[in-house]
Amino acid sequence: MTWHTFLSFGTMGHRHLFFVYAGVWLVQAGYLGWIALNWQKTGRN
Amino acid sequence: MARSPVFRNIGWLWFLASIAVLVVGFRQAIFLVPTESTMGDVQRIFYYHLPHAILGLIFPYVNFLASLSYLFWRRRDPLKALTADALAVASAEVTVLYVGITLASGMIWGKPAWGIWWAWDARLTSELLLWLLYVSYLLVRRFSLSGQTGVLAAIISVFAAIDVPIVFMSIRWWRTQHPAPVFGDGGSLDPSFYPAVLWNLAGWAMWGVFILIFRFALERRRQLNEQEKALKAIEASLEIPQ
Repeated sequence: MTWHTFLSFGTMGHRHLFFVYAGVWLVQAGYLGWIALNWQKTGRN
Repeated sequence: MARSPVFRNIGWLWFLASIAVLVVGFRQAIFLVPTESTMGDVQRIFYYHLPHAILGLIFPYVNFLASLSYLFWRRRDPLKALTADALAVASAEVTVLYVGITLASGMIWGKPAWGIWWAWDARLTSELLLWLLYVSYLLVRRFSLSGQTGVLAAIISVFAAIDVPIVFMSIRWWRTQHPAPVFGDGGSLDPSFYPAVLWNLAGWAMWGVFILIFRFALERRRQLNEQEKALKAIEASLEIPQ
């Protein structure tokens, strides 16, 4: 498989493959970002 | 986590190592391992689905042990109980994250592979139940007005942990739409796929440990701030002239 086929949305299979990989990174990074944001907000007294 | 520069540096190193392993895992999964003959490229979803599924059955036990510790220490040593409680909430959130990704990635894979998004078979239903149990756990912690929220949550956690072996064994005990085990005796996974599985399993495990510890540190920081505020309030009340 190449970048070209990974990013080709011609078939349902290729679309769903991309959605899973992009979605997993997005959700995991989003959760990490939420923790980091709250870490900054909470601060140390 | 940022209590000392040493902890912070170890945290950063662990985070960067996780990213490096995940990049290798991505490269293995998308570009290097051969295409599976039956399903084609969509089978590569497996390399993200499986690690999240495995880890989604391990983090509940961190929650379970932390909850048992909380129940044990809550009268004997409340400060230790608070630490256990912080670990319990962190591991419950990470469980919801990993099990949620397992369910979502399985559904997105199921549509092109089976022609359906969902089947009410034993594996999928018990996994959904696991996710709902930990969502309930977090909702109880967030919205319960009882003074015994920690105890209630810990009891839910003990019940939720019972579902984990049921999820694990479901594809052995019952005939399911979900495939049979692919590792171990009788497993159908070709050894040429192992590098993608193992790199991604290592990467998402390292990432999971990192976010678990970071979330635990956040909860401890919140607890310590609240303790400090409570102490200041008590001190202020003692200073009021009678």
